[in-house]
Amino acid sequence: MSSAAQASPSPQPLPVSGARLVVEALEREGVKHVFGYPGGAIMPVYDALTGSSLQHILVRHEQAAALAADAYGRVTGRPGVCLATSGPGATNLVTGIANAFLDSVPMVAITGQVGSPLMGTDAFQEVDIFGITLPIVKHSFIIRNTADIPRIFAEAFRIASSGRPGPVLIDLPKDVGVLTANPEPFELPDEPAAPLDEASIALANALIAEAKAPVIYFGGGVAIARAERALRDLAQRMGVPSVSTLKGLGCIPSDEPNYLGMLGMHGARAANIAIDNCDLLICVGARFDDRATGKLDSFAARAKVIHIDGDAAEIGKLRVPEVGLAGDVSSILGRLTAVPKIADWAQQCRAQRKMWAPRYDAPGQGIYAPALLKELSEAAGDKAIFTCDVGQHQMWVAQHCQFSRPQAHLTSGGLGTMGYGVPAGMGAVLAEPDATVITVSGDGSFMMNVQELATLRRYRLPLKIVLIDNSQLGMVRQWQELFFEENFSEIDLSDNPDFSEVAHSFGIEAFTIDHRSQVGPAIQRLLRTSGPILLHVRIDPRENVWPLVPPNSSNVQMMEKGW
Amino acid sequence: MTERLTVEFTPAEGAVIRVLGVVERRGYVLRGLSMKEKADTASLVIDVEPREASRRVPVLAQQLARLVDVRSVSLAARDAGSLA
Ligand SMILES: Cc1ncc(C[n+]2csc(CCOP(=O)(O)OP(=O)(O)O)c2C)c(N)n1
Repeated sequence: MSSAAQASPSPQPLPVSGARLVVEALEREGVKHVFGYPGGAIMPVYDALTGSSLQHILVRHEQAAALAADAYGRVTGRPGVCLATSGPGATNLVTGIANAFLDSVPMVAITGQVGSPLMGTDAFQEVDIFGITLPIVKHSFIIRNTADIPRIFAEAFRIASSGRPGPVLIDLPKDVGVLTANPEPFELPDEPAAPLDEASIALANALIAEAKAPVIYFGGGVAIARAERALRDLAQRMGVPSVSTLKGLGCIPSDEPNYLGMLGMHGARAANIAIDNCDLLICVGARFDDRATGKLDSFAARAKVIHIDGDAAEIGKLRVPEVGLAGDVSSILGRLTAVPKIADWAQQCRAQRKMWAPRYDAPGQGIYAPALLKELSEAAGDKAIFTCDVGQHQMWVAQHCQFSRPQAHLTSGGLGTMGYGVPAGMGAVLAEPDATVITVSGDGSFMMNVQELATLRRYRLPLKIVLIDNSQLGMVRQWQELFFEENFSEIDLSDNPDFSEVAHSFGIEAFTIDHRSQVGPAIQRLLRTSGPILLHVRIDPRENVWPLVPPNSSNVQMMEKGW
Repeated sequence: MTERLTVEFTPAEGAVIRVLGVVERRGYVLRGLSMKEKADTASLVIDVEPREASRRVPVLAQQLARLVDVRSVSLAARDAGSLA
């Protein structure tokens, strides 16, 4: 070392490459896993990844990286991270980013971009991913200066997980990752919490006190605000019956006596009847989505509404409430202290729940998927996390599995993304290694990300896949049967590959069942196996999801199964 | 009916398209627009008309307010004058 350097009191740190700054920023945020796929424009970051503390999970399609990051974010509550190159790598992330946006999931998506001088010239693998994703991100950045990297990453993580969470995209031009800089220290400003509106709290308590038939209608916003405990306390304190949206499942445990089940299109009849008869709807973290409400003007038509949400923009969007309370959901719920006198009403609701409980005594010897899922859920217990794909099997999971926490049910609620199940299972296994992670998929959905069996195998992720195979696009077939006069159009998948063979060829244990007597032993084997495993279940292609509210109908006009 | 929104925001990259994108995607027609920029803040005055009657402009104002770059949104009934 030269004497001049020795004499220097505080030597300037050596400039660091942008790519190194990216990796350091991720490490500073406590990131452990990054789901991604390399390519030209992101190569500097891949170069810097080696030797870092981050574990990179090499998926086989970028969509799976984004969907796995989504599930990781749902389970941990911290942003899941995905990484892709420019052009097709970036556009392959789009479905996963939209999935996270519509379900308000914290995510940071990092895309490589062509070098700054080439941007806007239609260069090789240049797409405007910033522009493409504007409608489906909470926020996004193009990093123009290497020195801004630490600050922008810190902001991105803060934005992705604060308030109503969502995906944040960071587009990184190649030269910005290669150039070096000595970033300045920075501080993010504090975010002051908004004060509660005391007058509205008082009004809400007054409405609760005088209600004769109140119902709590809760949704995914409860888990987002991590307000499950406050919701359970409120429901118990008041003794008010409650119903859940698809995304709220688990916020109140399925076995709570006053919990009536999921409402809406494939909801429990008791839940829809309670909503129809209620005189006060206490909506917590739900958003009057059409799948939940059916025909909006007949939804809780006689009820006054108290709407509580972390996001002020949800209040009054589709139904103007008597009282709107935006802010910290737990604090608001803690301030609702009135207790209504509703013993008869609660009793009536419990009786309806009992009367309309699902039946599992389906005729025949074939496998009845709802019964299998119920048995699986009971056997897997509280340590289970279910991820699903989209279709009939997704609704059966929602209807027949038990959830005691919202993180135990990962479903693509807003976007309805076929192909979510397996990548989400990968994300969940890495996010919570002690959990028993089970993906329930359909034969259509499974093929949308079948390549991820290779990722399961590579990292030996102990995901348990239950593939419900009706050799149809079942949900579409059901609608064609019921609402398109049985004009079956492009739903036949009877030329599916042999799924057990497919799994075997990826080096994954698999077996097939098609008879009711095989269900119990199959579940035992599934749960006993320590590595990844696929249970292929053949079911009757004509099976439908019941009950069902036809489109544009009120939720009490439910169609029921025939036996 | 056309209504006027004033949106104060940090003029970061993409901020203007983000604001206008929300207006259009949430079911409004843009009827008028002007922008001013001063130091590190900017403001857009936007005249909007809902595509169907059930849309409520105060909800749009909240949807704009939650954009990261937006500092405030105010809503005023449109005066007779045109946008400067
Ligand atoms: C990516 C994507 N494409 C199309 C759809 C429309 N869609 C919804 S359910 C469904 C059928 C799903 O079939 P399968 O995965 O076999 O499940 P099943 O309904 O048979 O249980 C389709 C095509 C979708 N939700 N996502």
